[in-house]
Amino acid sequence: MNLWARFRSWSAAMLRRSRMEREMDEEMRFHIAAHAATLMARGVSQQEALRQARVEFGGMEMTKDGCRDAVGVSFLETLFQDLRHGLRSLLRSPLFTLVTVFVLALGIGANTAIFGVVDAVSLRPLAYRDSGRLVTILMNGDNPVSVANYIDWRDQSRSFAAMGAADYWSPNLTGVESPEHITGLKVTQSLLPMLGIQPLLGRLFVEGEDKEGADREVILSYRLWQRRFSGDRNVLGKPIVLDGNAYIVVGVMPRGFQFAPFWATRAELWVPNAFGARIHDRGGNSLRIFARLKDGISLQQARAEIAGITERLERQFPGTNRNVLVTPLKEKVVGPIQTPLLVLLAAVAFVLLITCANVAHMLLARSATRHREVAVRAALGARRGRIVRQFLTESLLLGSVGGALGLGLAILGARALIAMSPPNIPRVQTVAIDLRAALFLLSATLFTSVGFGLAPALQASSVNVNDTLKEGGRSQSEGVGRNRLRSLLVISEFALALVLLIGAGLMIRTFSALQAVDAGFNPHNVVSMVVSVAGTKESEPARRAIFYRQLIERIRSLPGVQAAGGINHLPLAGDQWGSSFVVEGRPRPRPGESPRAIYRMVTPGYFSAMRLPLLRGRDISETDDVNAPGVVIINQRAAREYWPGEDPIGKRISFDDDEAAPTKWVTIIGVAKDARQSDWAAAPSPEIYLAAFQNHDFLGDSGSQVASHVSYITLVARTSGDPAAAAPAMKEAVWSLDRNLAISEVLTMDAVVADATAQPRFEMQLLTIFAAVALVLAAVGIYGVISYSASRRTHEIGVRMSLGATRRDVLLLIVHQGMRLAVAGSLTGIVGALLLSRLMRKLLYGVQPTDPMTFVVVATGLAVVAIVACYIPARRAMRINPMAALRYE
Amino acid sequence: MDKQLDLLQGTLDMLILKAVSLSPLHGYGILLRIQQISKERLEIQQGSLYPALYRLEHHGWIASEWGESENKRRARYYRLTAAGKRRLQSEAERWNQMTAVIAGILQATPEEL
Repeated sequence: MNLWARFRSWSAAMLRRSRMEREMDEEMRFHIAAHAATLMARGVSQQEALRQARVEFGGMEMTKDGCRDAVGVSFLETLFQDLRHGLRSLLRSPLFTLVTVFVLALGIGANTAIFGVVDAVSLRPLAYRDSGRLVTILMNGDNPVSVANYIDWRDQSRSFAAMGAADYWSPNLTGVESPEHITGLKVTQSLLPMLGIQPLLGRLFVEGEDKEGADREVILSYRLWQRRFSGDRNVLGKPIVLDGNAYIVVGVMPRGFQFAPFWATRAELWVPNAFGARIHDRGGNSLRIFARLKDGISLQQARAEIAGITERLERQFPGTNRNVLVTPLKEKVVGPIQTPLLVLLAAVAFVLLITCANVAHMLLARSATRHREVAVRAALGARRGRIVRQFLTESLLLGSVGGALGLGLAILGARALIAMSPPNIPRVQTVAIDLRAALFLLSATLFTSVGFGLAPALQASSVNVNDTLKEGGRSQSEGVGRNRLRSLLVISEFALALVLLIGAGLMIRTFSALQAVDAGFNPHNVVSMVVSVAGTKESEPARRAIFYRQLIERIRSLPGVQAAGGINHLPLAGDQWGSSFVVEGRPRPRPGESPRAIYRMVTPGYFSAMRLPLLRGRDISETDDVNAPGVVIINQRAAREYWPGEDPIGKRISFDDDEAAPTKWVTIIGVAKDARQSDWAAAPSPEIYLAAFQNHDFLGDSGSQVASHVSYITLVARTSGDPAAAAPAMKEAVWSLDRNLAISEVLTMDAVVADATAQPRFEMQLLTIFAAVALVLAAVGIYGVISYSASRRTHEIGVRMSLGATRRDVLLLIVHQGMRLAVAGSLTGIVGALLLSRLMRKLLYGVQPTDPMTFVVVATGLAVVAIVACYIPARRAMRINPMAALRYE
Repeated sequence: MDKQLDLLQGTLDMLILKAVSLSPLHGYGILLRIQQISKERLEIQQGSLYPALYRLEHHGWIASEWGESENKRRARYYRLTAAGKRRLQSEAERWNQMTAVIAGILQATPEEL
């Protein structure tokens, strides 16, 4: 039979299904009646004739099965039959069904939601053409490089089909209703075509547009195009004003396009990067380099080539080409998040395993009460395989309903995960319960259903027909095998729960250690905002200092503001710049070994607004202006590192580009307490605070490349009340000076700190939820097993009590039985946790993966839960009336 | 009564085809007819008749319709189809060849070997 004929036969058979069943039944009844009639004609009594006719006919069920098999509809046929039967039998015990379905829905749903996140964030390839071939080339795999280096690498390498570079650029969009500070990138012409994504409208940059004078074009992101230009197609060819210059819109990228993927992730526009005079610059490190591997070139080959080139350049220009690393772009994007995601995925898979074990429990308990049903079916001729199939169909039915509900939960869960996810998770916006997640859900459902259904099915089908039926209505004594299986399930539940609890415990310890970290400053009651002067009349070098002073004065005079100051980049939230410097009077260090420090530019009042204590010396004052000698404040770490055993105050340093013969010196006037910088968990590096009103870059009159980067100030105000409530008045104060000023990043310092610890908090929350679910499931599991076995032992307990066992003895007997399982499980779990917690090392802070305290507390806590779970059924057993118990059965 | 013989594997189909080739019969009738022809020397597990009937009908060798039995009850009657006739013929030929060969082997005397 070909497929089509087979299908037709099947479908016809399905249509005739009920008719066929009816006819089959009637035909066989007729047979038996006719045979009985024959027997009666020979003088056998009616009753005996019927009995004999039935016996001679043989198993009716088996015969019918044989007929169904013969017609070839048996698979679907039996499936429907089993489904009907399964549904009926599940509906007979609604509470059991409800609980099971709910537990399964939770387990499957949570797994699918987490899978959705893991898939979107870390499994799927980046959304560029052939993105596996894209790499980044960065110092130490992380830091930007200079223009001259980029040009050398590009011109000397042969491994790459294309290479491009990007600079961070955040201009003010003006000339529109409300000016806005926008994140963007300046990219070389080669960069966007390399990604292989066509623009939705218009074109990408063409050859020659990244030359000076030809670089006034802009490509918009879909979001910016929608938000600021209402998706107007006529925007192509029109000019928009960025930082006071007109740029012609040449293209709009498609929805969902994001570049760069690991830094400047919120970039909403791209303009050409004209290097101009910077092509000879080997000092200013601001470029991120991207490249596409040539076909047939491996990552290793490209790495070897870059290593050779940079080695040569390093000899030629010492200190400029050290440790340049080629990293696959995807690794750069998802690398940092991989470990936490895998830990979460493992944790949620553990929850699913515990769920399986738990449901298997319930099914085992239930199948014990279904012995008779199975025995009757077996007696009627059902084969063992058939009964196993019936039970598995029932499990699949449970699993499928659970899975369907789980899908709903997964969709809600994924939304909740997106909402509570820390801000630095890449691609989290693309998380969705899509086809891939649905396939995952399907396989999870199948796996779970077979996982929890197989053991009970095999157990149930192995009943001894004769014994069961002979026993009549009497309850079944526990088989040894069944008991061992249930014990194993409880032990594994406890082991899994313990591992999860330890994971959660370690994260809680980590988080509390992070909470205890001293920021250095006092983040409470502080609000900050970035005010950008780019493209306004205040950006004039001559006006900036006056304007900034005026601005801070205006903020200080607001009611509720206690102190205010300004800084270029806010710690933890803003960008972070570093530089090498020269210490006066010291021998010139070898190339690349000059002292380095993070530097920020601060106005008078910043330290008091942040309550960042000055440990020694004095604060920067209003008189430290361009006409006064240069002053800086350093942090403790810089003092320890570069002036050990010396008093740094009064010492002079220089940031001059020409380190051989510096001319401009600044004097250290104070030492500030160490403050957290960009990474909350990292110990502060050496840091130097420059006086903003002495800094030509900050004031925009140095003519350097940096100056065009610094066209903004971050205002910091300490308030007496709710800092967020002060923000509107502050904004009004800014706009009262100039309506065109763009304000962005309005943040309370508390929110900044919360964001900095958002990822460990997220991990802690999820792990804690999973561990709590695991704990409850394990407790329910042990409770179920102990109370079930206690009720089976009623008779035995009665005997023991009548032979003189006290209630306490009974209590201990039952609790002891449960605790043996709990202890065995916990020991297994401890071994598992010792092996597995190492994988979390990257997630931990201030606590070892084998932290004894966590292990002890968790194991003890679990033991207490187990005791309580066993105590309840034990108490019930203790109250057994021995006389009643002996009469029982 | 003579000792009953268990049915040889695979021969039930042929017996059914033969039984219904004479006239249409219901399932029980087929059983009786086989027992009658075999002079009750063949033991047929009654239930096993039906899967065989369904199989034969599925192959198109017999066809069935509902009719009325001798004692006025509804019963399903099976009759041989044209394809069934050919099938019976080839099965019978095969069977005869087989029995001839086996009989020959069993009758062989030492001298012939």
